[in-house]
Amino acid sequence: MIEANELHKRFGSVTAVEGVTFRAPDGVITGLLGPNGAGKTTVLRIVSGLVLPDRGWTAIDGIDPHREPARARSKLGSLPDARGLYGRLTARENVRYFGKLCGLDGAPLERRIDDLFELLELGPLRDRAVLGFSQGERMKVAIARAVIHDPENVILDEPTNGLDVLSTRSLRLFIRELKARGRTVVFSSHVMQEVAALCDVVVVMSAGRVVACGTTDELRARTGEGSLEDAFVALTSHVREPDLGEVTA
Amino acid sequence: MSRPRLAFVVLKKELTEGLRDRRALGSLLVFPLLGPVLVSLMLSTLVERATTEHPIRLPVVGAEYAPGLMRYLAAEGLTVTEAPEDPMAEVRAGRAEVVVLVDKGYAESFRAGRSAVVALIVDESRDDARPSVRRVQNTLQAYSQTVGSLRLMARGVSPELGRAVSVHEVDLSTPQSRGAVFLNFVPLFVLMAAFIGGMHLASDMTAGERERGSLEPLLLTPASARALVAGKWLAATIFAATTVILTLACTALALSRVPLHRFGMAASLAPRDLWLVLATVLPLTPLTAALELFVASFARTVKEAQIYLSLLMFAPMLPAFYLSLQTVTPGPGVAALPVIGQQVLLSAVVRGDAPSSLAFVAAATSALLLSGGAVLATARLFRSERMVYGR
Repeated sequence: MIEANELHKRFGSVTAVEGVTFRAPDGVITGLLGPNGAGKTTVLRIVSGLVLPDRGWTAIDGIDPHREPARARSKLGSLPDARGLYGRLTARENVRYFGKLCGLDGAPLERRIDDLFELLELGPLRDRAVLGFSQGERMKVAIARAVIHDPENVILDEPTNGLDVLSTRSLRLFIRELKARGRTVVFSSHVMQEVAALCDVVVVMSAGRVVACGTTDELRARTGEGSLEDAFVALTSHVREPDLGEVTA
Repeated sequence: MSRPRLAFVVLKKELTEGLRDRRALGSLLVFPLLGPVLVSLMLSTLVERATTEHPIRLPVVGAEYAPGLMRYLAAEGLTVTEAPEDPMAEVRAGRAEVVVLVDKGYAESFRAGRSAVVALIVDESRDDARPSVRRVQNTLQAYSQTVGSLRLMARGVSPELGRAVSVHEVDLSTPQSRGAVFLNFVPLFVLMAAFIGGMHLASDMTAGERERGSLEPLLLTPASARALVAGKWLAATIFAATTVILTLACTALALSRVPLHRFGMAASLAPRDLWLVLATVLPLTPLTAALELFVASFARTVKEAQIYLSLLMFAPMLPAFYLSLQTVTPGPGVAALPVIGQQVLLSAVVRGDAPSSLAFVAAATSALLLSGGAVLATARLFRSERMVYGR
């Protein structure tokens, strides 16, 4: 379970996150939906313990990632916005490095790598240097790397960015598989269809705030709009503050 | 997994990646190979020029006024030649190193026992002309003294009355300390190797990871910042130490081929000196690696990191330049100053002095302590959110 409570974060004079609260329970895919610049990445960085909030707290299975980073992160697999690989290492070496940093080793680690590569359909590429990989292949290696320690909680920051239809499809299958195994999944996106197709609960963010929270049906009902897209527009347009326009410009 | 084992995991990965990186390997190999070869070539020509006694052709204006002086000059091996039209222009343009002007009244003054005037036209700013100028000056001085002494003796006066103090020079320089002038480049070179060896790797492992987007995933692992930084530090240290060893080996080999003995100098580094140079510079590599990691962690891109790191490398060059003009006795206090201590120890070693072993221990200990401090500071930086944002 991932919890965020009353998170605030400012960078200089810009308020990036303002009073964000949500709860992502086990076995549920929670979508963090919002336009570019809404503060999704900052929230996810705070939740995974990389960035310290000015106020508020977060917990991963009840563990504060800022107080006990090692313990919290051993229960968390995170695919951040930056997802570069080591180009001169093979796919297997990339994932193996992170497995070892998570405390795995030997035959169990190699078995886990094989399983993940099979699940993500990376099999034939596993021992090639990742320098020549396509965007989709790189994403798959990055995901394998993020979940190598089979964490109870998984955060994916805009995982479908720049992926083609096939890669998106296999990514969706992978995320559903995580849900089926009772994992907590938090998934951020600015693409409506992604969220509609995948998420059980949607947290809508705009200008650093949570503007709505609920199932897709609830959101449609609340706004009285027929489609989720219309609901999204209705939810995010009226809270747009004038200073956000300056920030994104 | 324990922290040392995690650091070892990082070290192994960084070395694997570094050895597959042609540019990192290049900085490891090219500097040791190219540097000493170039310098020994330069040295070789320098020694060649300084040792060969080339016959000096000496243009003289008004040679006819001083036939006695001309005979003396010829006897001393100076070839007197026809003076050019405009001697000043000749010297200024560098076509002549020195031109002698004999005053019109020379013969008259000479006969009357007054000081006869001879002028030397030289360009003091030309270093390469200096040996010729000095030789002409000395020869003229010697002529003046010889004639003066003869005149005094002819009048029944001892020439020694005119020399109140006779200065004798006792030269204490040994062949090796004379060689030190030429060997002074060795410390600078080996020190530079300590900085250059780990430079590429250090910027690649910090700013490079940030630039390529692999830093954030790395910071998200349960591995502690200290383990990550320690592994990277060890990798950069190994690269720097390897470069130092290769550079020293190549320099020693190159020096053994320079004909310094023709200059009366014992300039080849003895095996003992090699070990002393190594004992001085190797303990510095953990510090250069740690400082480079720390500095490069502030940069957003590899390019930016390399600008910072070249500035970092030139910082110790300033005291090095000052020290090359100075002789400092290396006590433990001076030796403990980072980088400067190493420079002082090294120039003492190539001069043939043997600094106390305490000085070596002081230098190594202070470098190791400081590198520990820099590693901890880098680990703090890795834990802070500015590491994610790069500022």
